[in-house]
Amino acid sequence: MDPITFSIIRHRLFRVVEEAVITLKHVSGSAITNEGHDLMVSLYRADGSLLMGGVGFLHHLTSAAEACKAVIRRFSGRIEEGDVYLLNDPYTAALHTSDIYLIAPIHHEGRLVAWSACFVHVYDIGAMNPGGFSPESPDIYTEGFSSPGIRLVERGVLRQDVFDTLLNMVRSPEMVALDLRSMIACNNVAKDRMLALIHKYGVATVDEACAELIGQSERLLRKRLGELPDGTWRSRQFMDVKGEVHRVELAMTKAGDSLVFDFTGSSPQSRHAINCTQWASLGGLFAPLFPLLCYDITWNEGVIKPITMIAPEGTVVNCRRPAPVSVATVGAIQSVNNAACATIGKMLSASELYADEATAVWHANHFAIFMFGRNQRGGQSIGILTETFAGAGGARSFADGIDVGGEIPNPISRMANVETMEAAFPIRYLFRRRMIDSGGPGRHRGGAGCELAITPHDAPDGGLHYVVSGKGAEFPMSDGLNGGYPGAPNSYIWVHQDEAGGDNRDARFAKALDELPGRKEPVTWGVFPLMGKDALYVRWNGGGGYGDPLEREPARVAADVHANLVSAEAAQAVYGVVLQADGRVDEGATAERRKTLRRGRLLTEAAE
Amino acid sequence: MGERARYIVASDVGGTCTDTVVFAAGEPIHLGKALSTPPHFADGVLDSLDVAARAMGLACTALLVETALFVHGSTVVDNAILTRSGARTGLLTTEGFEDTLLITRGAYGRWSGLSEDRIKHPVKTDRATPLVDPAAIKGVAERVDYKGAVLRELEETSAEEAIRFLIEERGVEALAVSLLWSFYNPVHERKLRALIERVAPGVYVTLSSEVAPVPGEYERSSTTVINAYAGAISRDYLQSLESKLGAAGYRGPVMVMQGYGGLLPAREAANLAVGMIESGPAAGVIGARYLGRLMRDADIIACDMGGTTFKVGVIQGGAFGYAREPLVDRYHYAAPKIEVVSIGAGGGSIVALDPETKVPRVGPQSAGASPGPVCYGRGGTEPTLTDVMTLIGYMDADHFLDGSIKLDLSAARRVFDEKIARPLGRSVEAAAFGIYRIAAAQITDLIHEITVERGLDPRDFVLHSFGGTCALLSATFGRELNVRKVIVPYTASVHCAFGLVSADIVHEYTHAAVLPVPSPPEAVNDLFAPMVERALGTLHREGFAGDRLSLDWSIDLRYSRQVHEVTTTVRAETPLDASGLVRLVDDFEALYERKYGAGSAYREAGIEMTLFRLTARGLMARPTIEPASLNSPDSSGARIGRRAVYSEAKDAMAPADIYDFTRLVPGNLVAGPAVIHTPITTIVVPDAQTARMDALRNIVIELG
Repeated sequence: MDPITFSIIRHRLFRVVEEAVITLKHVSGSAITNEGHDLMVSLYRADGSLLMGGVGFLHHLTSAAEACKAVIRRFSGRIEEGDVYLLNDPYTAALHTSDIYLIAPIHHEGRLVAWSACFVHVYDIGAMNPGGFSPESPDIYTEGFSSPGIRLVERGVLRQDVFDTLLNMVRSPEMVALDLRSMIACNNVAKDRMLALIHKYGVATVDEACAELIGQSERLLRKRLGELPDGTWRSRQFMDVKGEVHRVELAMTKAGDSLVFDFTGSSPQSRHAINCTQWASLGGLFAPLFPLLCYDITWNEGVIKPITMIAPEGTVVNCRRPAPVSVATVGAIQSVNNAACATIGKMLSASELYADEATAVWHANHFAIFMFGRNQRGGQSIGILTETFAGAGGARSFADGIDVGGEIPNPISRMANVETMEAAFPIRYLFRRRMIDSGGPGRHRGGAGCELAITPHDAPDGGLHYVVSGKGAEFPMSDGLNGGYPGAPNSYIWVHQDEAGGDNRDARFAKALDELPGRKEPVTWGVFPLMGKDALYVRWNGGGGYGDPLEREPARVAADVHANLVSAEAAQAVYGVVLQADGRVDEGATAERRKTLRRGRLLTEAAE
Repeated sequence: MGERARYIVASDVGGTCTDTVVFAAGEPIHLGKALSTPPHFADGVLDSLDVAARAMGLACTALLVETALFVHGSTVVDNAILTRSGARTGLLTTEGFEDTLLITRGAYGRWSGLSEDRIKHPVKTDRATPLVDPAAIKGVAERVDYKGAVLRELEETSAEEAIRFLIEERGVEALAVSLLWSFYNPVHERKLRALIERVAPGVYVTLSSEVAPVPGEYERSSTTVINAYAGAISRDYLQSLESKLGAAGYRGPVMVMQGYGGLLPAREAANLAVGMIESGPAAGVIGARYLGRLMRDADIIACDMGGTTFKVGVIQGGAFGYAREPLVDRYHYAAPKIEVVSIGAGGGSIVALDPETKVPRVGPQSAGASPGPVCYGRGGTEPTLTDVMTLIGYMDADHFLDGSIKLDLSAARRVFDEKIARPLGRSVEAAAFGIYRIAAAQITDLIHEITVERGLDPRDFVLHSFGGTCALLSATFGRELNVRKVIVPYTASVHCAFGLVSADIVHEYTHAAVLPVPSPPEAVNDLFAPMVERALGTLHREGFAGDRLSLDWSIDLRYSRQVHEVTTTVRAETPLDASGLVRLVDDFEALYERKYGAGSAYREAGIEMTLFRLTARGLMARPTIEPASLNSPDSSGARIGRRAVYSEAKDAMAPADIYDFTRLVPGNLVAGPAVIHTPITTIVVPDAQTARMDALRNIVIELG
């Protein structure tokens, strides 16, 4: 293939995806799509294999490929120019029902030449609980509308009956209609630009460039794998839901130029909706693999070929129908993604060539809090607490993790301003700040997470309700690397201030959880009220640390203490750094303290 | 200013050079170029004035005495931020939200301003170091709510302690004050300023409610900090410039370009450092719009390509858009700024093959001015786009920059052959032309994406080509974009300065409030009334009245529960009546669907007005440019030779006519393939295209 033409076509394929993403955001106009960037657009070849993955929620790149293939199987021989298919059944290909795929074939002169696919998290899908995450659902049947593949647009004409049927089953149908329209427009732009490319260079040349692009990615990844050491690396993730503990076990084996991810040993599927299907697990392990191993390689089918996944059926990572899965994207998928990030980090750090690419786990305890109720203007508000997208960076071999630095599977997320949230919901924030001792200790510290508290404000009904699908409160999940400690766990606390009575003026402007009076009840799962003077306190995890905290320069620990990112107690207990009254390092006491801690480790090991 | 004051002088301070242009009715444009002199940029301005004056046979003082108006654009604020040379700055904010600036809405501050390649490599990304030392951020006890109601009075005693702490313990020289919801109710910010003025009268203070009275505490705080950080520098700079100009004999006003494309008197600009950010590119867009008016083109894609960057701005219907989330360096700010998008593509962009795949790539690395392209012979060892241009005959080794630099063609050939052509298995010329095609395609893709972002179709536009490198490529990417025509303006070499003299005085006022649609027109008029009063007072003081001032109302509207806000111009009589408000809403709906696509409107949710903007203009006198009469199409008088250039049609080097721009006269036609050399750039006229010089001495290549 002519390298000049190849270079031009490759660049243009990127732009096709970019322009489609712009269209998606424009037409949708929703906060979760535009602020959280909870979306994905990608191009697929005629057989449904991934051609060009865009920067969106990376869990979806491979699942949408499977969705294309499922549509090809179901509608074989009847796929027409101008059709658009909808698929959101997790047992067919999707992650959970509220992440709807719209898939459109691209025909050139009557022949199917490619597919475009996109998703957004729709406002609602008609599950038991509003907003898509439905922690109270016992099974897939109560998780709302679910289709293994349906024609939404037929030869360019919207099937109004299908459209109306779907809208008839959801809360906030106007918003869902807009979400669907945005996806149709997005696929149209992808198709127009793809056809313009074919028109200019010819279908054969573009096809050859696409095949070459995939071949190139495969060659590059295989070469990289060849440069990395052989071996097996393990990771284990715990998920706590309502007192039950589930495990995701991963053994990643690299041999030669291929990688096997084996989840054998993971817990049996749960009755709670944290499970995920096999396609979701595959998406979960590719989400970190793309940016960690393929940061300079085009994300397509070629990257998928050297990878094998083993996920035993009936487990949390490959559940059987009708297990509930609505919380999968912050549940088992996230754990798969964390475990893969951990094993890839271990492999990279075992290589001199790639050690500087290794990272501890970022923002592992993803959570979802959907608020709903009547707002200060009398209308209905429903929406997500976008703080879940704020994340926290894992520490790296050369630097600390980035405080509140996002996450790996969604490279361009962000959270909303406090003023945006207070305008949209009848709530007031008491504080929102980085959380002390949340970043995993290490020679390089994990990035800090945050804490916040909200309370009703000007709510016509006295407050609102929220759906919380929060795990990660019992166990830390952002694993450290090479001796680094994990980031702190999450916390979700209902502060019953109403019970405390009175009008404590200080409490109205509390600066911290311990200044809030009233019973503090942990809430992690289900629908809860936020009424009267009550408050909801949320804390999210920091990233994992890198290297032994006893090797961190004491001056940097002192600086963290000064910046309120590490407590003096943790400095002493975990980092072995003793500070003087003026905040400076007590060199002598620190050396002594670190010696004692090291001796203690040897004694512990000897005792074991 | 004396009777004889007849010149309009514009000085544009760039990173490397300071350009001065002198306009006078009926006279040729005079140009002065001097090196910029950071951090004392005013010296470079005087140097370039001196050069221009000498070119006119005048002493600098004689020129300034006869100058009626001095217009100025400067990178002094951009420079203060890029070099981190601003004041030691502290931040006062609402207690409980001290980290807002540092956590940058999560990853937003980590990925903003990065290329897609770097975004896909998160392990190697980081935030920019904040302009405020985290230890110099203090919370103050106070709270205002979403409707501007005070929930908690400012605790003045502890606030005073916080101020003293920052000044005495942290040694801050400037203070930014940014409180939650202050744009609805600035009472606490104003109290804090009074406290600061009492406790530490010399400290520079910026209030968020004054510098960025818009919702969104992160962006508002960031803007406030930038302004406080660079405020003393911009103030001192403009004071020093005014006094130096005064000492040199100038008696007229000094006007300073703002990023939104308007001028402010220096005294006002001095306290609005953020306003000066990226004012150079803004001046470029303003210049393109003025040229478009002269040529009766209202829809323009303005491209500027020099040594390192390709910049593009879009003018539609004579109007330009504002950047939605502007950044300086990697810091967000919320101030109106003309949208100008740039990518790392210029003459110095390095051409390389991927070591693994051998796929060629242009940029984003640049050889810059030093060592520069291989053909400059200044030690450059990596082939660049400029080298490619010489190898395919587009640039002339003997006539580069008017012959001031002799290009080393054989070195360029040797390096390009070894690093690019041979590994690709192609001749030097074929490989070089391939690289040229890649560069043109990347620019095409960028412009296409920008127009899609705004819901526009490039086929409706003309393309302006500015800068030293752009005209080498613009006919090629212009054709691929299907624009109507490509114009290489006569003023291309002094484009930013041309933009400065074609700008008006513009004061922007905003008021944030949420009003539902429909609302009584009085509710809207009541919000505008105080802004109108302030604007008229200011413009009258500046000497504008009657038909020399204009007040334009515009309102940001959105569909409820939607994030996109569209700034909609009020086209009806103001103050508004009921029918005017209806017309505004109709305009909003049409604009929304045009920008965001058919079916994107969500009427069921209702419509809200969120931001009320008043743009107050004092209309400035423009230099007049007299159209020349058209001569015959015969351009043979300007033909200076023939040389082999790459022909796409023949896919080989082929002879082409070479023209000297300075010998062309209006009306001349130049048939491609041809190359036109101007003193500052080179215009490539590809096969089967024809260029003509119009009555304003612009080179126009018709495509549509």
